Amino acid sequence: MKRLVSLLFIGALALLLLYVVSKMPPMGEPTNPTMTHVVPRYLEKSEGEAHARNVVTGVIINYRGFDTLGEVTVIYCALAAVLAVLGREKRGRIRDYVELSGIPSSVIVRTMVALVVPFIVLFSLYVILHGEMSPGGGFQGGAVIGASMIIFTTVFGLHLSSVKVPLKVRAALEGSAVITFFLVGIAGILGGGNFLAYAWPRVSQSLQPALVTWLTVLVEVGIGLGGAMVFVSILFAMVREEGADEPLA
Amino acid sequence: MNLWHNFHYAVAMVLFCVGLYAVIMRRNIIKKIIGINIMETSVFLFLISIGYRKGGVAPVHVEGLDPSRMVNPLPQSLILTGIVVAVSITALALSLAILLYRQFGTLDVNRLFREEEEEAG
Repeated sequence: MKRLVSLLFIGALALLLLYVVSKMPPMGEPTNPTMTHVVPRYLEKSEGEAHARNVVTGVIINYRGFDTLGEVTVIYCALAAVLAVLGREKRGRIRDYVELSGIPSSVIVRTMVALVVPFIVLFSLYVILHGEMSPGGGFQGGAVIGASMIIFTTVFGLHLSSVKVPLKVRAALEGSAVITFFLVGIAGILGGGNFLAYAWPRVSQSLQPALVTWLTVLVEVGIGLGGAMVFVSILFAMVREEGADEPLA
Repeated sequence: MNLWHNFHYAVAMVLFCVGLYAVIMRRNIIKKIIGINIMETSVFLFLISIGYRKGGVAPVHVEGLDPSRMVNPLPQSLILTGIVVAVSITALALSLAILLYRQFGTLDVNRLFREEEEEAG
């Protein structure tokens, strides 16, 4: 009975949503309401105002900086919540299911992962640093680093990957996204403008474009490293087996 | 009737209902979390396809490219932050699931309710 009611509810919702979709304006038309309000300004002026050739980066870091600052705080809070639930690993030897299972992964997999992971990290640095002028940015690059660490941890185990990315480094860099963004916002106040405003009355106009570009890159690097370390810490907290902490003798 | 022309939207809606089905009907918590992820993905697909423009190019300024040909950058940046929030939600939900499994030894919702009743009664 309960299942039937749930199925009926889902079916009715699907019909309703499809009806609404059929009444929406056709996809891809330049005259759609989504294309007309604020978007032309972003597209036409972002190069002169946000000094980022990639409009998406300009929107994220510059026009909607407050939004992104809050969102960066959200991932930091997620890390805090995960650590509050699962606990941070202690120093010393930590084990996970890869080591406890006793079945090593095959030579091919280990060799391939050891070969590929450095290049993945290199590529993610490229994605982070070129976020200003090509598709990419801090979030994407951070996610790529996190994914590479996931591959590494599933194959080589938690102990080795926690040696590669030690707790000290992670603890120092986890907050870098929030801190960088906040400091750049403060720089806006010091320059005589508003918080997170990238237009400073006290700085000469000729310097501003380069300054905005470099601050954008700085924020991207902060978000990239911070996001990556947050992902890695969440991963480590998750794959660690209960009671698997062993003090290093 | 725009349903055929808007089939990207329609697929997103169907995906949303698939995810909702998993969240409501599945008893395994991991499958519920997967369902939440499917719902999130459907919303991302929907918003990204709203931002599409016919024959559009990526919103990156290149010499000699007319800005009016670019696709809508706003949904892309919203989704970019949305994906990271979705990852955070998934991480938190999965860690709670790990805690539940350590406590009760099961991820079945019905059994979890039963255990809770036994502990209370």
